[in-house]
Amino acid sequence: MRCIVFCIPSGASQNSSDSGWEAKVTEFFRQRLMEKDAHTWVPSLNDVPLHYLKPNSLVKFRCLIQDMFDPEFYMGAYDTVDPSTKVLRCGKYKDVTECGVDLDSANMVTSERQTFYCVPIPGESPWKCMVFYAGARVVPSTSYVPSRQKRSYEDDDEDDMDTQPQAQGHAQGNGDSKRQETEAPSGQKASSPPLDLNFPLPGEKGPACLVKVYADWDSFKLNDTMEVYGILSVSPALSALSDQSDTSSSLILDPAECMETAEELRVHSPPASLVPRLHLIHTQRLAHNNPLLPPAALEDSAASLASTLGEMVSVRAELLAYFTQLLLGDVLAAEYLLLHLISNVYARRDVIPLGKFTLNLSGCPATAGPAYTEQLYCALQQLVPSAYRLSMTLQNMNQLRLVPRKDYVANRLLSGALQLAANTSLYLDETQLEQGQLDPAGVRNITALGNVISWQKVDYDFNYHQMEFPSNINVLIASEGRSLLPSDCHVHLQPQVTPPNMEAYLGSALTAQSSSQLNKFRLYLTMARTLDYSISEEVTKAVEDDFVDMRKDDPQSISADDLHSLLGVARLLCLSLGQSALSTDAWSRAKHIETLRKSRSEPQGCLNGNEP
Amino acid sequence: AVMDPALSTDTGPDGGVHVKDALSEKCQKLFLEFLEEFQSPTGELVYLADAEELIRPERNTLTVSFVNIEQYNQPLATTIQEEYYRVYPFLCQAVRHFARDHGNIPASKEFYVAFSEFPTRQKIRELTAARIGSLLRISGQVVRTHPVHPELVSGTFLCLDCQSLVKDVEQQFRYTQPNICKNPVCANRKRFMLDANKSRFVDFQKVRIQETQAELPRGSIPRSVEVVLRAEAVETAQAGDHSDFTGTLIVVPDVSALASAAVRSETSSRLTGREGFDADGVAGLKALGVRDLSYRLAFLASHVAPTNPRFGGKALRQEDQTAESVKNQMTVEEWEKVFEMTQDKNLYHNLCTSLFPTIHGNDEIKRGILLMLFGGVAKTTMEGTSLRGDVNICIVGDPSTSKSQFLKHVVDFAPRAIYTSGKASSAAGLTAAVVRDEESHEFVIEAGALMLADNGVCCIDEFDKMDLKDQVAIHEAMEQQTISITKAGIKATLNARTSILAAANPIDGHYNRSKSLKQNINMSAPIMSRFDLFFILVDECNEVTDYAIARRIVDLHCRNMESVQRVYSPDEVQRYILFARQFQPMITPAAREFVVEQYKLLRQRDSTGSMKSAWRITVRQLESMLRLSEAMTRMYCSDEVQPKHVKEAFRLLNKSIIRVDSPDINFDNEEDEQEIHGTRGSVGRNGIGTSAPKAVLKMSFAEYRKISNLIVLHMHRMEEVDEEGSLKKSELVNWYLKEMESEIETEEELISKKTLFEKVLHRLINYDHVIIELTQTGLKQSKNGEAPTTEEDPVLVVNPNYTLE
Repeated sequence: MRCIVFCIPSGASQNSSDSGWEAKVTEFFRQRLMEKDAHTWVPSLNDVPLHYLKPNSLVKFRCLIQDMFDPEFYMGAYDTVDPSTKVLRCGKYKDVTECGVDLDSANMVTSERQTFYCVPIPGESPWKCMVFYAGARVVPSTSYVPSRQKRSYEDDDEDDMDTQPQAQGHAQGNGDSKRQETEAPSGQKASSPPLDLNFPLPGEKGPACLVKVYADWDSFKLNDTMEVYGILSVSPALSALSDQSDTSSSLILDPAECMETAEELRVHSPPASLVPRLHLIHTQRLAHNNPLLPPAALEDSAASLASTLGEMVSVRAELLAYFTQLLLGDVLAAEYLLLHLISNVYARRDVIPLGKFTLNLSGCPATAGPAYTEQLYCALQQLVPSAYRLSMTLQNMNQLRLVPRKDYVANRLLSGALQLAANTSLYLDETQLEQGQLDPAGVRNITALGNVISWQKVDYDFNYHQMEFPSNINVLIASEGRSLLPSDCHVHLQPQVTPPNMEAYLGSALTAQSSSQLNKFRLYLTMARTLDYSISEEVTKAVEDDFVDMRKDDPQSISADDLHSLLGVARLLCLSLGQSALSTDAWSRAKHIETLRKSRSEPQGCLNGNEP
Repeated sequence: AVMDPALSTDTGPDGGVHVKDALSEKCQKLFLEFLEEFQSPTGELVYLADAEELIRPERNTLTVSFVNIEQYNQPLATTIQEEYYRVYPFLCQAVRHFARDHGNIPASKEFYVAFSEFPTRQKIRELTAARIGSLLRISGQVVRTHPVHPELVSGTFLCLDCQSLVKDVEQQFRYTQPNICKNPVCANRKRFMLDANKSRFVDFQKVRIQETQAELPRGSIPRSVEVVLRAEAVETAQAGDHSDFTGTLIVVPDVSALASAAVRSETSSRLTGREGFDADGVAGLKALGVRDLSYRLAFLASHVAPTNPRFGGKALRQEDQTAESVKNQMTVEEWEKVFEMTQDKNLYHNLCTSLFPTIHGNDEIKRGILLMLFGGVAKTTMEGTSLRGDVNICIVGDPSTSKSQFLKHVVDFAPRAIYTSGKASSAAGLTAAVVRDEESHEFVIEAGALMLADNGVCCIDEFDKMDLKDQVAIHEAMEQQTISITKAGIKATLNARTSILAAANPIDGHYNRSKSLKQNINMSAPIMSRFDLFFILVDECNEVTDYAIARRIVDLHCRNMESVQRVYSPDEVQRYILFARQFQPMITPAAREFVVEQYKLLRQRDSTGSMKSAWRITVRQLESMLRLSEAMTRMYCSDEVQPKHVKEAFRLLNKSIIRVDSPDINFDNEEDEQEIHGTRGSVGRNGIGTSAPKAVLKMSFAEYRKISNLIVLHMHRMEEVDEEGSLKKSELVNWYLKEMESEIETEEELISKKTLFEKVLHRLINYDHVIIELTQTGLKQSKNGEAPTTEEDPVLVVNPNYTLE
C-alpha cells in the first residue's frame, strides 16, 4: 500500500466518460482499504495539520455532516482550448481546470455532484484522538517529505496518467509555499476576517471540510458520522477565483452577475486553506465512534469479540466499583449511571423513541462548588467517545444557540449545540443554574432540551417552519434537587462517604485507573450498547402476568409508563451483563432496583409539576 | 453545448451571428396564429382583450394558458415545452406583433409571455442538468426575496473615444459592453459609457425558493434554488409563500449558454428589422487558464402562482377545491384506493387505528380527533355572523397517560399542524406579535403558532400551564377564527382558521374524580365552552385492559415491527381526508328532528341533575353536535347528514360531557360542587367537615362503594329478618362501628370513623338517593330551603329502585 498519492486517470477517460472507470476507481480503493491495516496508512485530516498534507493525495476525515449544500454542476469532461494540444480532460475529483477550456466543444459533459459541509465529530474525547493518533501509521514526521521530493513523486505519476503542462507544477509549487506562508501552524485564522466554521459546540477546533460526493448522495443524512476517504484539494486558485468574482460583482447593473451574494460566497466557497475540499472516493459509515473497536459493523468481527463478551461480567463489576467510588459510595446510583451510559435509541415506533435513558442525578454535593460535577464529567469523558458538558447557567441558557437555525442570508445551517452525533453524551450541569429571568431564547432552549430528552428530536429552526431531526443523545442531568427538565429516571444521590477534600478524593479516584483499565471500560461500554436484544415468548407472558398482578394489588403502584420504563431498565440491565435476551432474573432485578430508586425519590415527590 | 444541439447554426469564421433558426421562426408564426385564432367555447377570442390591455404602460406581459395551446395545437405545445428557452424570444416577439396589431404601442416597448396552467410539476430535488432549457413548473416555499432591480435588456453605449453611439447591445444576465466601437476608424474596445436614458430596462427580481417539507426526504436539508423573475412576475411572491413557478432552468454562470443566448437575441432583433448590430458583447469569462469547474442552476420564471395543493403539497383544505377537482388531481391508483375506502364497512374503526397505531385503547379520543380532521362545515348566518366548522378538542388527563402522544401523532400526520406547549409560549408566540424588523426598522407582524396553523391543526400541550391572559388571547381565535392585533400603530385582523387540539393536566396532577371537570382544570369558563369535546384520561384499572396494555408495551420493546398495524397508510388516510373534506353536507329533515330530540334529552338530563355532567348544556353544545355530525357525514363522503351520523356525534358528545363517572369522594368540597351543578337545592351541611382534619375526609370511590354496599347489604338482611322492623340511623351507625371494631384503637379514631360514616350516610341519602330517610320534615325541607334535620333519628330504608351491583 505504498501508492497513497492519488492521481486522476483522466487519460483513461479519453473519448468516453461513461466507460465505467469511475466505478472501477471506487471499487479499487474500497478493496485496498479493506485490506488489513490499510486504512491506517492514509493520513487523517483529524490528526495531521493541513499544511503537512500533500494536495491531491488520498486523505481520510472522520466527520459529521453538518450541512448539505445545493447540488453543483461541473464539467465532467471538457476539451482544452488550445487547438494544437486539444485533449479531452476529466473534471471529476477536481475543483479547477488547469488550462483553458473550449466551451463550445461538443465533448463537454455537464455532471452533477453534491457538496456536504463536514466538521469533526463534535465533542470527541481527548483520549480518542490519542488512540487514533497512536494507531495511525502516517504521522507528520514520516509523511511529510520535503516538497522537492514530493514533486518528483508526482511527476512519476503524471508520466503514466496525465500529461499536465509543466505550468501546473509551478502553480502547485507556488500554492504550497503560499500555504506555508499564510498558515504558520499557530494562526490558521489570523490572516482573514474570522470565518465562523460553524462547529456545533463552542470552543471546538479542527478542520472543517467541504466533501464533494459523486454518487448516491441521497443515502447521506444530516448528522451522519462517517470516515470519508477522498482526494484533498486545497488549490489556492479556488480562493483566488472567488476573490475575483467578488470584485467583479460590484457592478450595479448586474444583479445576476453572480447568483450568490457575497455572504453566501464566503460560506460556500471559503478559502481552501481554511476549509479544504475533499473529493470523496470511499465512505465508511461509523456504527459507533470508538477507535478501540473495529469500525465496521460488529457482526463482522464477532469472533474476535467473543472473548470480550465473556469478560463483560467481570468488567462490569470493576466499572461498577469505579462508579461507586466516583458517586461517593452510592452503589445504586452507580448502577444507574452504568445503565445510562450504554443506552441507545435503537428504534422508533411512530413518535416514541425506544431505548433512551435520560438520567437525572440529583443530590450532587453543592457545597463543594462546581468541582464535583465538573470532575464527574471529566471521569465520564474519559470513558465515552464523545461528550459535552453544558453548564446550565442562566447566561448560557439565554445566550447559547442550542437549536440549529437556517440562515437564509448566507444560505447555510447555523449549527447549534444540539447538533450532535449519535451516542454523544450530553452532560447537563444544573447545579450551575441560579435564580433569575429566562428570556424567550432561554425558554426555547429549555424547551429544546426537553424535546431531546422526551422525544429524542431537535426541531431545527427554518424560520418559516420547523423541521424535526431525530437525535440519539445520552442526556445526563446533574442537579441538586430534582431537575426542572424531564428525565426517564431520577436517582437521588445518597453519599456514603463524605471526603473532607472532594477534589483530592475524586482526583485520586481518577488517576487510580490505569490506561489499560480505562480502555477495558471504554470497550465494554461500546460493546454493551451495540448488543442485540430480544424477549422470548415465555418471558413476555411472565412480564404481562406480573404487570397485571401488580395492578391488581395496587393500581397506583404501576402505570403503563412504569412498565415502559421498567422494560427499558431490564433491557439495559441485560445488555450490561452481556446477555442478549431478557431473563426472569433480570426482570426481578430490574424491579428491585426500580423499587429502591423510587423509595428514594418519594419524599421529594413531584412537586414542581414536571411530568416524570 | 448544453443548450442547442438542434440549432442550425450558421456560424461564420468570426464566431458571428448568422443564425437561422427555422424551428423557432415556425413556432413564432404558429403562436401568433394561436393568439389570433384561439376561441373560447362561446366563440370569443380569448386573448384579444388581454392584448388590448397591454397598451397600458405598466403592462408588458401576456399570460397564456398552456392548456389552451395544447387544445389548439399539440405539436406547438410540445415544441414550446421541449425547446422553451430556445423559442422564448420568438414567442415574445409574437406577442409583440399581436399587441401591435390590436393597439397603438410604442415601438421600443418590450413584451413578454408567461405560461400558466402548465400541467406537470417537478420537485426541486428532481431538477437536473438534463432539464435545462425545457418548460417546467416547480413549486417551493419562498424563503428570501431580493429587492427589485432594473435589468438592462438592451444598452446604448457612448464611445468615450469618438463619442459615437452604439445602440441596442443585447444584454443577457451580464453587463455587456460592445466588443468594439462600430465607428470603423475607432478601435476602442474598452472605454464605453452606458447611456441609461436611451437603454431599455426590465424589472428584475431574484428570489430563493426552498423545497417544501412534504417533498423532503427525512433527514436531509431542504434544497433551494434561485429563481429569477422578470417583468410582471416580480413582486408576486412574498417570503413564506408557497408558490408555483413556471419557466426554465438555466445555468449560471454558464458561458456557453450565455453565448448562445446572446446569439439568439441577436437573431431576434435581426428578424424584427431592428437596427442590427454585432452585439456579440459576451466576451466570455476572462481568458483565464484556471477556472472554477462548478456552476449552479437557477430558474428563470415567467409565471408565478400560489401553489395549488396537490397531494404532494399535502394541504388539507382549500376553499376553491371541489371533490371533483381533488379527484382529478389523483392518479388512477390513488383514486381507486380512495374509492375502495369509501366502500369500507369498517371505515370509522380502520381510520382510527390507522391514525394511532401505537396508542392502545382510548377509542373515543381517537374518534374525536378523526372527526376533528374531517371538520364541520363553516357557515355564515343570515346576519353575517360566521360559524366555525372547526372542531376543538381538549384532552384532560393524568400524567403518563398518552395525552402528548396524541398530539405528537396529529402533528406528525396532519399538514399545517403546529405543536406548541402552553408552558413555553406566551400569547405573543401563540397568536401574533408585532415586532420591529432589525434591518429595516419597520414593524412587521410575526406569525404565531395559531396563524401558522391556519387551515390546519394547532396542538397545544400543557394548555393549563398557559397564563390566563394568554388563554383569553386565543379565545378569539377559537371562536372567531381570526386574530386581531392593535399594537404599535398596526391594526390587523388575521385569519386563524384552525382546529385546536389541547392537552391539559389536572390541577392536582391527578384527575380528582370527586370534583367536576371545571374544578380539575385551570381554564376559564369561556374558553372551556369553546371546546367541542372534552376527553378525560384517567388511569383506570382493569385486568383486561391491563393485559392489553402490557402486551402492547412489551411488543413495542421487542424488535417486533409487526406491532405497528395499519389498515391504511398515512398517505392514504391523508388523501382520503382531503377528498372527504370537499363535501359540504346538508342536514336532512329527519336528521334535524333527531338533533332536536337529542338536544332536548341532553337539556333535560342536565336539569334533573341526577347525572354529574361536566358543564351545563347550552346552545354551544348544539353547535358542536352539528359540527360533529357534519364531520361524521364527511367521513362517509356523503352530502346529507342522516340521523345515523347525528347519533354517533351525539354519542361522542355525550361521552365527552358526561364522562366524569365514579369520582373520588371528597366530603369537604361538596359545597363547591353544588355551585357548579346549580340544579340541586341547598343541601344541609353539618359543619363537621371544616373542623376535622382534611385528610380523613377523603375516600376513594372504591372505598365509598364498599361501605355503601356493606350498608345496603346489612339493611337488606335486616329487612328480611324483620319486615316490620325499622332501622334507625343511630342503630346503623352503631352497627357499623361495631363491624369496624378491630380497626379502631383509640378514641380519636372512633370519632373520625363515626364522622366519616355519617358523611357516607349523608351522601347516600342526599346525593345518591340509595337510602331514603323517613322523617316528618322530609317534605317541607325543599320548600323553605332549610337544612334537613339531622338531630332527629330518622328511619332509613333502602331505595326500592336501587340494585346491588
